[in-house]
Amino acid sequence: MDYLLLICSDGVATPEKAAAMRESMPGWLSEMDARGVRVFGHALANASAAKTVRVRGPRTFLSDGPFAETKEFVGGIDIVECADLDEAIEIAAKHPVARFHMIEIRPFTDGADVRTKVPTGETERGQRYLMFMCADGIPATDPEEEWVRTEGASWFEAVKARDPNSFGHALKSITAATTVRVREGQTLISDGPFAETREFIAGFDIVECTDLDEAVEIAAKHPLAAFHMVEVRPFARDEASED
Amino acid sequence: MRPARTDAAVESAFREEWGRVVATLIRRTGDWDLAEECAQEAFAEALRRWPDEGIPHKPGAWLTTVATNRAVDRLRRVRRGAELLEQASRDPLAGPELRPPELRSAMAQDADVTADSDPSGIEDDRLRLIFTCCHPALPLEGRVALTLRTLAGLTVAEVARAFLVSEATMAKRLTRAKAKIADARIPYRVPPAHLLPERLGGVLAVVYLLFNEGYLATTGEELIRTQLCGEAIRLNRVLVSLMPDEPEATGLLALLLFQHSRRTARVSGDGELITLEWQDRGLWDQAQIDEAWGLLRAGLKRAAAGPYQLQAAIAACHAQAPTAAETDWPQIAALYALLLGQLPSPVVRLNHAVAVAMADSIDEGLDLVEQLAQEGELSQYHLLEATRADLLRRRGDLRSAATAYERALAQAPTEAERRFVAQRLAEVRAQPD
Repeated sequence: MDYLLLICSDGVATPEKAAAMRESMPGWLSEMDARGVRVFGHALANASAAKTVRVRGPRTFLSDGPFAETKEFVGGIDIVECADLDEAIEIAAKHPVARFHMIEIRPFTDGADVRTKVPTGETERGQRYLMFMCADGIPATDPEEEWVRTEGASWFEAVKARDPNSFGHALKSITAATTVRVREGQTLISDGPFAETREFIAGFDIVECTDLDEAVEIAAKHPLAAFHMVEVRPFARDEASED
Repeated sequence: MRPARTDAAVESAFREEWGRVVATLIRRTGDWDLAEECAQEAFAEALRRWPDEGIPHKPGAWLTTVATNRAVDRLRRVRRGAELLEQASRDPLAGPELRPPELRSAMAQDADVTADSDPSGIEDDRLRLIFTCCHPALPLEGRVALTLRTLAGLTVAEVARAFLVSEATMAKRLTRAKAKIADARIPYRVPPAHLLPERLGGVLAVVYLLFNEGYLATTGEELIRTQLCGEAIRLNRVLVSLMPDEPEATGLLALLLFQHSRRTARVSGDGELITLEWQDRGLWDQAQIDEAWGLLRAGLKRAAAGPYQLQAAIAACHAQAPTAAETDWPQIAALYALLLGQLPSPVVRLNHAVAVAMADSIDEGLDLVEQLAQEGELSQYHLLEATRADLLRRRGDLRSAATAYERALAQAPTEAERRFVAQRLAEVRAQPD
């Protein structure tokens, strides 16, 4: 089963903690790569670099910052392929960030097929952006959801045509989320997402763009932006990344 | 055979076998709802057939086989339906292909093996079910509900009543928990050795919570909801029988039995709570106390005492005292000090303070209570003020005791506890300063 690990922070880490996390990263990466469970992973640029896109009628509204106003924010993602939730929990618990912050585990909906579909090649056109498809907690009607599904599929085809390396997939319902923290050597597992908010991440896309303007333009075309919102965030430049 | 006896046999099989049948069906089908429905149908069939055919030699194996056959039939129907649909959409003129689904033969083989003689396989299924129901990625209330429904076989209405929520709310809770198991793919297994201590702790915590919910009845008007206590003990017995080498599982069972042995003495004829000190010790259930002692001794031989064993040992000190005045408080204070080393929670500290007050000096105990009060962690817990009040009363400081009882009264969560505190308050007010 394919899972998304949201590497989350519950605030800015002290320099000592940040250094401890950086030091332990290579060990985690090499273990997970050797096991073959990790398909993709990258840190995101600071949450302050995030833009959230909403489209209402003919107008596009752009706001600074992540999709929800919380102390906690997503700092990076990893896509893993595991036997079951226990293996995903084990992998998350070994991640250095789990010792200081937390990791949310979200199963993909069926057919994500991350092993073959997630891009692993180099970027050529400039910058890779992560687009979180976020729901704002107000349930859509069935016809609306159907519209988002069909329009979303053609949106993705258009994105794929422009960048064959892009990847996107829906996640299972937020009720399937599990959050992992490690404190004093104990793995603490809890039901639910990393932050208690009305808004939640329903799916995401990884798209290569020349710049933020292009990323925002693409995000605004996604049908979800018309009901809910899309958070656009660049991946961190390589020196700050996990790789 | 008289139908009444058969009904009783089905009833008893239900208590004994429900969890086993459901557990095996979940392993075979991977479908929790299907497993429950087919188990229910198997029990209904037992009610129909056992009066004429007699009670089978192995009721559990009989029920599992019948339930498995039901599941096979249903899955086959669904599968054939899907095949027909697929065929119809491909070639409207082609007839259905009647090949036997591999699933069916696989399940039939599996059924033959288990139905013959492999009790260990069935036992493992029940353990798998316990660990999956109590998986830490499920919300706590979902774990408790799922354990009672799936393993103990309470109906949704019964589980709802036990937790004083509507049936619709409870049904939703159960549906959500099952959806998470499927969606997040929580494995159906006994955790591997390196995870076992942690996960077993989680399972025991659910059992203890069930018992306490029954014993302390944190909400509502009833003081003890005996059914919940009984279910917790039954589940704990299953755990001990399946994992006889886990000292903490045994320790918890000893603790529950010690506490449960006092259930009759704990409530007066008119439904008032009676504390340990004033209980009629002749009402304690001596058979349960003896059993608890046996478990405690056996567990302590095997390993250094964990938190449940220590709590059982404390309960044993009380059980041993012929009168309240003869209680071995120094021993209890020493055990609480050990427990604090493993479980430094504010509630344990409060109990330790009481033991110190009773063993050494009331002032020393009051100091410990005072420290706790200043740290503020128990500021919403009525027993902090009630304890302070009781120690002040023992010291003869009646005016301060009355003030503390007033604060406890405002915080007491149930009607019975409010009545209890009000009674103590009236007593200290009636005494001359």
